[in-house]
Amino acid sequence: MILAGDRFLTRDFDLEHLYRIESYAARGGYQAAAKALKTMTPDEVLEEVKAANLRGRGGAGFPAGIKWGFVPRETDAPRYLCVNADEGEPGTFKDRYLMSHNPHRLLEGMILASYAVGIRTAYVYIRGEYGAIARRLEAAVTEAKASGWLGDHIAGTEFGLEVFIHRGAGSYICGEETALLESLEGKRGHPRLKPPFPASVGLFRCPTVINNVETICNIPDIILHGAEAFLRRGLSRDGGTRLFSVSGAVAKPGCYELPAGASLRELIFDRAGGMRLGRKLKAVIPGGLSAPVLLEKEIDIRLDGDSLVEAGSMLGSAGIIVIDDQTPMTMVLDKMAGFYAHESCGQCSPCRIGTAWMARIASRLRSGRRRDGDLETILRLAANIKGRTLCPMGDAAALPIAALVTKFRDELERTS
Amino acid sequence: MVRLVIDDRTVSVEPGTTILEAAEQAGIEIPHLCYHPALPKAGTCRLCAVEIEGQPKLEPSCSTEVREGMVVRTESPRVIEARRSVLELLLTEHAMDCPICDKAGECRLQDYYQAYSLAPGVYAEDKTRREKKVPLGGGLLLDRERCVLCTRCVRFLDSVTGTSELGVFERGIRSEIACFEGRPVDNNYSGCLSEICPVGAITDADFRFRTRSWFLEAKETICPLCGRGCRIVLERHPGFPRLPGTAKVLRVRSRPDDLVNGHWICNVGRYGYGYLEQERCRDIAGPLAKRLGLKTWDDVVAHLAARLRALRLKGRQAHMAVVVSDWLTTEELFLAGAVFQRDLEIGRCHVVGPRDDSPDGMLLTAERSPNRAGAKALGFGLEEPTLEDLARDAEMLMVFGPFLGEKFRPDEIGAALAGVKTKVLFTPRDNGLGRFFDLVVPTVWPAEKDGTFTNCQGLTRAFSAAFAPPSSAVEEWRLLAALGRAVGRNPHFYTPLRCAGDVRRAMP
Repeated sequence: MILAGDRFLTRDFDLEHLYRIESYAARGGYQAAAKALKTMTPDEVLEEVKAANLRGRGGAGFPAGIKWGFVPRETDAPRYLCVNADEGEPGTFKDRYLMSHNPHRLLEGMILASYAVGIRTAYVYIRGEYGAIARRLEAAVTEAKASGWLGDHIAGTEFGLEVFIHRGAGSYICGEETALLESLEGKRGHPRLKPPFPASVGLFRCPTVINNVETICNIPDIILHGAEAFLRRGLSRDGGTRLFSVSGAVAKPGCYELPAGASLRELIFDRAGGMRLGRKLKAVIPGGLSAPVLLEKEIDIRLDGDSLVEAGSMLGSAGIIVIDDQTPMTMVLDKMAGFYAHESCGQCSPCRIGTAWMARIASRLRSGRRRDGDLETILRLAANIKGRTLCPMGDAAALPIAALVTKFRDELERTS
Repeated sequence: MVRLVIDDRTVSVEPGTTILEAAEQAGIEIPHLCYHPALPKAGTCRLCAVEIEGQPKLEPSCSTEVREGMVVRTESPRVIEARRSVLELLLTEHAMDCPICDKAGECRLQDYYQAYSLAPGVYAEDKTRREKKVPLGGGLLLDRERCVLCTRCVRFLDSVTGTSELGVFERGIRSEIACFEGRPVDNNYSGCLSEICPVGAITDADFRFRTRSWFLEAKETICPLCGRGCRIVLERHPGFPRLPGTAKVLRVRSRPDDLVNGHWICNVGRYGYGYLEQERCRDIAGPLAKRLGLKTWDDVVAHLAARLRALRLKGRQAHMAVVVSDWLTTEELFLAGAVFQRDLEIGRCHVVGPRDDSPDGMLLTAERSPNRAGAKALGFGLEEPTLEDLARDAEMLMVFGPFLGEKFRPDEIGAALAGVKTKVLFTPRDNGLGRFFDLVVPTVWPAEKDGTFTNCQGLTRAFSAAFAPPSSAVEEWRLLAALGRAVGRNPHFYTPLRCAGDVRRAMP
């Protein structure tokens, strides 16, 4: 059940020049910031976000309010906000829309998050490939500064915030939050050992909040209309709407805003126009490449965190990759394994060597040179990587590869 | 204290201890590659993963701190399985050239494979050929086919020396250790890199291909090459059965000591072991020995005792001079003080050691002697004598150590000492000094005797002989005690037990 007018994050996207501060202000922009700074305490903002059950949109789905609550209160150290705009998960292209169409909403969300946690300096770590968007964000920062929405004494209050835009250099692993921090500090993008978690020891060894772009963009609405209204927009326990990036063999690939908990089948067949060139749907990857694949018979499912976990997959970054019946699974496996081998940072042994080994087998399978035991080896390697690496990338590689080999074993054996 | 259970053993450790360290304290070894007690934690080899009750995943024991009531298993089926898997992965593209690898026999990867895996390799893909002889600087060579990317070397240079010459370059399976362009490894601790490398990836030109590790006899001692007195292990090839004289020290390793050197030693101490065999004095020599037929050190002591007694009888103490060195042990210096200063009342008793050199700001000190503090504590004056000081009106000069030869030019020594009637040199090394002396008695290096040194921090530590000295050489303490028994006021004073007690009382 998808209603027209269910758009909140992408509201006004049809408006030309929405990225200019005047247009944004004309459509009610910065009202949430004004409301919070003038009438609410930081704790009230934090409580409102907690009440909204705003789950992280980056992939892990951790509630933002709870994450903010981990930042130690009694500390003299500066606190930092890092917005994760690395958007490296294959099949995901939602943050770029948010940032290029409406950069000021991101800035307003950052003001609110910073106000709630007591942050004076914030960074946007943006994917290296998003050069034009980075420039647009920088222009928006300049505009916001000129209008008094950034800098010292925002809206005449004591609160001040500096925002810096930092471009990455094109690495998947730098979307992992601690690798992002390392990269932001000017080091190799290698994930850190946890604990300590970034909330206590983060950027420059200070308490740090790291949130996805879409997560932050939801905050102005929560503050302006309340947690209640936000929760009501979702069709399940997850609050709000979500941006689904639909790609692959559909007629109308693109970015769709739907209530959390919408049906996957409806998204593909109603919104995205169904299958391209009359082909049949074979499989769907529902949450970015790292989400285990779903078969055609499994797609009558609600798109929210819990339902997909129940189905053995995950909502992840909500990047939906639709695979048709003419796509050889050996190719999908090769691309998938090759991607993770290429992007492994190389720090820890299981991921560095395991992904490379899987990729070499997958590439052999694709060229039709399967040996006995190849698929068992891939499954064994995936099992040995899963849960045994320093950062979540090990799981991100092992789970989808294992699911693909398990669910399409017949086809893989037949065609390789 | 935090109490936890590791493999059914209850262990009590300080809060903040990691599981791996706690297990070590309880005598349980958890295999590891990237962990090193003196380096920042990496947590990347994943070999040390253990099972913690109530935790779904295995956790790296090197970086997980203990908690009260934790129940840890280091040998459960899941742990063993994970360990085997990591070993399998590390060995997929490993060079497997153990037969020609310097590390074989002391290689962690080899040991762990033997202990935990022994699984046949199933890796059937092409192995990537990598460079096998990358010069890193400082005589170090990197073999990238053997490297397991534990990054111990990188972390050592980042956190210990602060010189950061090495880094990880590239990404994923293409990751490799390399120097920054035009900046090879260049610091006084570079030798530690091949020591901390858990596999044979970084080898040392000084040791490369010289022997197999299992032939080496490892003996603990203290490095005498500067005032720090780092604890070291001397490793010696015992020589071949029918080839006498083939025994040879081939390597020096550090020995952990929290108070002195931590886990490290400098390159001066590591590569300086050549002095042990260089220009070694092997026989009693000199015109006097020839003329009187002095064959053993007993002959020497008897002759010297007679001379000394005669000089004392004639009251000619002012015409005698003694040079000791701060390479002597505290016990020897004490004996020298007792025989020469107290009993024979010789006024001219000097200390001459090697020339000072520049310190490195970490372990290496300016003084290049191991016991200057000991000599000072025993009341020896440390002002350096001139040759004139030694030769003035001297009928007899006794010198311990070869260091006069380092301090003065041969022609100076020859000219200055020409007028001294009897000159006796006790030295393990003849650096050209011997030809100016009438009698040269071979003695031993600190590694070949027992004793104590007091280092630049004022720490007094005992050591015992690592190796037997050459058969003709005599320990200075043995000689001095014999001399003391022969010419001392109270012969019973010069027994080892009495001396040890007196040394203890004499030291501050």
